[in-house]
Amino acid sequence: MSGGGKYRSRGVPRVIGLSVSYQRENLLARGLGLEHLRELLLRLSRPLLRHGASLAYAGHWRETEDNFTYDLLRMINAEQEDNSHGGADTGLNIGRLYNHSPWPDFLDITPRIEAQWINSCRIVRISQELAGIASDDRVSDGESQSDSNRARLNVALVLSAMRRMAVEGMTVAIPDVPSPETVPPISARVLLGGKLQGFSGFLPGVFEEALVALEHKLPLYVLGGFGGAAETLAQALLAPASIRPDAFSFEWHRANSSNFEQLVNFSQTCDLPSGVRTSAQALDALYQLIGSATSNLVAALNTGLNEAQTKELLTTRDMGRAVKLVLSGLKTKFGLELLPS
Amino acid sequence: MAVSPIPQVAGGTMQISNVQIVLMLIDEHLIADVTWRYWLTSLVLQPAVNNKRVFLPVALDATAFNLPYALREFNFLRPTGLPLPQNDPPGPSAALEIVVRSLLKQLTEALCRLLLGGRETPLVGNTGVPHTIVEGSTPKITIFLSHAKADGTMPARRIRDYIYSQTQLAAFYDENDIPFGAAFSRVLEANIGSSNQTAALIAVRSARYATRPWCRREFATFRRPRQEQTSPGDAERWTLNPTIIVDALDEGSQTFGLPEFGNAPVFRWAEEAQNPEEQVVTTILRDTLLASFHAAVGSCIPSAPDSIVLNWLPDPTTLLHIPRVRAATEDLRILYPGRGLSGLELDILDEFFPRLTLHSFEAMVS
Repeated sequence: MSGGGKYRSRGVPRVIGLSVSYQRENLLARGLGLEHLRELLLRLSRPLLRHGASLAYAGHWRETEDNFTYDLLRMINAEQEDNSHGGADTGLNIGRLYNHSPWPDFLDITPRIEAQWINSCRIVRISQELAGIASDDRVSDGESQSDSNRARLNVALVLSAMRRMAVEGMTVAIPDVPSPETVPPISARVLLGGKLQGFSGFLPGVFEEALVALEHKLPLYVLGGFGGAAETLAQALLAPASIRPDAFSFEWHRANSSNFEQLVNFSQTCDLPSGVRTSAQALDALYQLIGSATSNLVAALNTGLNEAQTKELLTTRDMGRAVKLVLSGLKTKFGLELLPS
Repeated sequence: MAVSPIPQVAGGTMQISNVQIVLMLIDEHLIADVTWRYWLTSLVLQPAVNNKRVFLPVALDATAFNLPYALREFNFLRPTGLPLPQNDPPGPSAALEIVVRSLLKQLTEALCRLLLGGRETPLVGNTGVPHTIVEGSTPKITIFLSHAKADGTMPARRIRDYIYSQTQLAAFYDENDIPFGAAFSRVLEANIGSSNQTAALIAVRSARYATRPWCRREFATFRRPRQEQTSPGDAERWTLNPTIIVDALDEGSQTFGLPEFGNAPVFRWAEEAQNPEEQVVTTILRDTLLASFHAAVGSCIPSAPDSIVLNWLPDPTTLLHIPRVRAATEDLRILYPGRGLSGLELDILDEFFPRLTLHSFEAMVS
């Protein structure tokens, strides 16, 4: 079998944003473990890569068992190797990984790590400067791990900027290179799991990603059957609009997330970069979008799935089914034809 | 003397380079640096103007193989001794010295291959495709080992074994390198005579070397300059492949000098020395590189029909192989590499060849 047009995407190369995180208790309660999550991620990613789509995954670079960055990279490497060795897969345009890495996480990335994965991954460092933090307000790299209010606030600001930049795309100026490099915007967002408490930003990461995706009318695939913030989001999307779940209220987070109140209080004493929303504003905006989405989920989530499929994706605990639905939706949206199973 | 004036170079400077060699020392910092990646890729994809561009990638760590796609398939130079021990002090150290020596050796060999290949196919011009040293058809560089078996084979065998185990060179060692049924003389002639198959010769001078006719024939044949093809009206250009004499005389033994040795360098073999075979091979490789380089430089120096351009330092033995010099019927100018012979050497040559004037390349291009 040749590696010709049969398996090629009809559309332009896309970047699919993945927000997948492991919460042991959530998964255990559903009879699932880390391996199931890893399998889901790979089953979802492989066909996308083979269609030339790239992935955006903001995972860290520490070697921990619940870190999927290296799983994705190893898969991309393997696909690239298969592609270069002749045979059936030769000629495919294999996608790569965009790793939006926020300050101070990217300080852990050594030249060796970056060099090791350079052909599979473009690391996009989101610095305090890129986040619009005034130079006087920036925290030195040496103090990045401190518990100071300023450091925590800057981490939150950078995370917000990173999520916005992932959706809007960006350019990166490179010294001595005539034209800046373009980091394309993501075309769709897939959400699974995610912390509801103990998060580092102004609101749970999955919530903020859903917020910017809905605002930009990006296809949003919420895999709600596997717990975490994605499940809470899915439940809200399926609930009557009149009911505001606790997790979308500022007060609930102040009561349930350590350090949250401290962050909020300190942020109120500072001049924030333009366009930055407070936690309360962001939660209100998200709730409003969810409220208006409930009346027409298909249009709001823009996934390319019909109503029954959309609701199924929000609730299914069958990982195989969830993968199939996401790929089916992406196929409809972007012409990514499914590979034979 | 009635020689013509030395041709002048327009503008006062001379463009004698026609090969651009990009030596890439690749470590994780280069690989991870987007600017470097951009410029290297640009260098590969943009054709060189009036030059052949050759890439020599050196892998300094395991990430080097993640070069941009256009450069990834080259066979990297991989110096031994890397990675350096973690506790290796910054700056020069014994461990670093091993790496440097290994890299220099590999680099010399690669450059030899490049320049020797270039003598057979013009180096000028550009196809728009990145050039590598190993284009698939470039033959191995062969070194001829001339030795008298009657005195034992040890220095020669050690040198041969080193060539095969530590380099990408080939060695012509003895009759085992001659196909069964082939005529000895023709094979030897093909290897050391008019063809370009053998780039250098190592003569192991033991006590009976001077008495072995085959040894002397090998050496004399190899050290006979070859005339390169030139255009009518141009200078004659002659090349000589380098030789080195390994002095393996036992203590107290006696032999006699050979005129065909001329000014060939001599290396004193000592069993107790550390890696003498490495020193011999490295020296002959370096001389091979220089000879190729000098031949290339010589071919770019403008000259008149009464000039003879050499790629070696002239001595009476080799000059006498050049018919116009031997005839001594005209005034000639000899152009030779380097910065100039000493006054003593010039005086001696003047006594032998009063109708010659000798000019170094350095004097010609400066």
